[in-house]
Amino acid sequence: MLLSVEPDGPVPIYQQIRDRIVEAIAGGLQPAGSGLPSTRQLAVDLGVNFHTVNKGYDLLRQEGLLRIGRKSGAVVQRDAGSGPPRPDWAQDWAARLQTLLAEAAAQGLPAQDIVRHCQEAIAAFTFPVDGEPGPGPVGQL
Amino acid sequence: MTTASLSGEVIVSFYAAASCLAPAITRPTVPFGVRVPPERADAPVIRQQRRAYYGRTAIIGACCIALVVLLQDRGSWWLSRIILLAEIVADLGCFLIARNRIAAVKQAERWYAGHRQVVATDTSWRTDPPRFPVRWLIPALTVIAATILIGALRYPHLPARVTADGHLVPKSVVSVFAIVAAQLYVTAMWTGIMLLVYRSRPDIEAVDAAGSTRRYRRFLAACTRAVLTLLALVDLTLLLAALRNWQVYRLSGIGSALPVLPFAVGLLVLAVITFRVGQGGSRLPGGGRGGYGPVAGVDRDDDRFWKAGLIYVNRDDPAIMVGARFGVGWTFNLANPMAWLVIAGIVATPAGLVAIGAALGM
Repeated sequence: MLLSVEPDGPVPIYQQIRDRIVEAIAGGLQPAGSGLPSTRQLAVDLGVNFHTVNKGYDLLRQEGLLRIGRKSGAVVQRDAGSGPPRPDWAQDWAARLQTLLAEAAAQGLPAQDIVRHCQEAIAAFTFPVDGEPGPGPVGQL
Repeated sequence: MTTASLSGEVIVSFYAAASCLAPAITRPTVPFGVRVPPERADAPVIRQQRRAYYGRTAIIGACCIALVVLLQDRGSWWLSRIILLAEIVADLGCFLIARNRIAAVKQAERWYAGHRQVVATDTSWRTDPPRFPVRWLIPALTVIAATILIGALRYPHLPARVTADGHLVPKSVVSVFAIVAAQLYVTAMWTGIMLLVYRSRPDIEAVDAAGSTRRYRRFLAACTRAVLTLLALVDLTLLLAALRNWQVYRLSGIGSALPVLPFAVGLLVLAVITFRVGQGGSRLPGGGRGGYGPVAGVDRDDDRFWKAGLIYVNRDDPAIMVGARFGVGWTFNLANPMAWLVIAGIVATPAGLVAIGAALGM
């Protein structure tokens, strides 16, 4: 996958790394079981501090999206085909989505435009075909 | 004509050509060490400075080559070194003139205003890493093995005093086999550097991230093979010099220049390969096909980390080696202590070998 960050941008670099990897998983570019560079390698490739990458990977690990093993390295733990998320996670996410949509409404973006943006974003994601579950989570946390 | 003076001529000529042609093989978005957005890569000031640089360095190179040829039989071996040093300093001056003029226009016209500046990478570089071409080391190792074998066979028949470094010295294992140590050092050092390069980051351009990663893979493979070929030929040059010292052959006149031939051929091979691929594969065709195309934004303006446009110093970057800013090759991140450790190893090893040799010789 291609990963780009804006070092001088307003979003912290570790957050950008986390966001790009989440997008790659949703887009099917990094399916469950696929590998990612080690924290040291990614730090060298992006020219950023090792701890910055570590922080981004740690967020993904806490979200259950990434597994970091001493031997296996960083491996994507789950994707769209790995079954439904935990109920409390969905609740939490809905609350964050509410804020994000509220931002658009408060700025005066019409409702149909908001829906169009959502549809465009979802169109870029990969979802498993009904009745054919994906490979599922790999290994245990 | 001696081997030393001829190798001086080869190096001065090679440096003249490499230095003059460096802008042609450098990435178009870093002319003279100044990072510019892709749409400015052909700006009038850049074209003008490139032309001026070609003209100036061509004159300097021609003068230095003429000088080293005319003075080849006068003075000592160090004369060509002084000419080379003068050539390096003069070419550096030409580089800095071009760099400062381009940087001034870039700043005055605010070339990066309104650009989203990004750093891009392709994770497949790590998850599907390129393999070091170990097999290309075989020629160099074969030449070293042959040198050891011939040396061992010749040793009993050598006189009490043998030639080493152009002087007659008492015969000993150290004085006879010093050339093998030189072969091992050169081969190990360059192999080590290339292994380090394989672990370093590729030069990826944001405007064509997938394409530039593919080109970088081809560039690295081609350069590594060229370097390993050069190593084998340098080892061969040392073997030919050893054979002469060991009285296996004796040639006079132009024939005495024979040992320099493999070295010159190796440099030529390296020059042709680097000219064909360009820095980071920038002269290779095949951009934008397959992969995931570009990422939104242009390469980050990183001029502040490049002192004089040539020396990389970035505390926040954990990289030990990065792609060179001018010409083809790699350079150290001097803000990384590991880089200094590697440089110390490169410098200390020959000094250590000489010291060990001297101690054993006594």
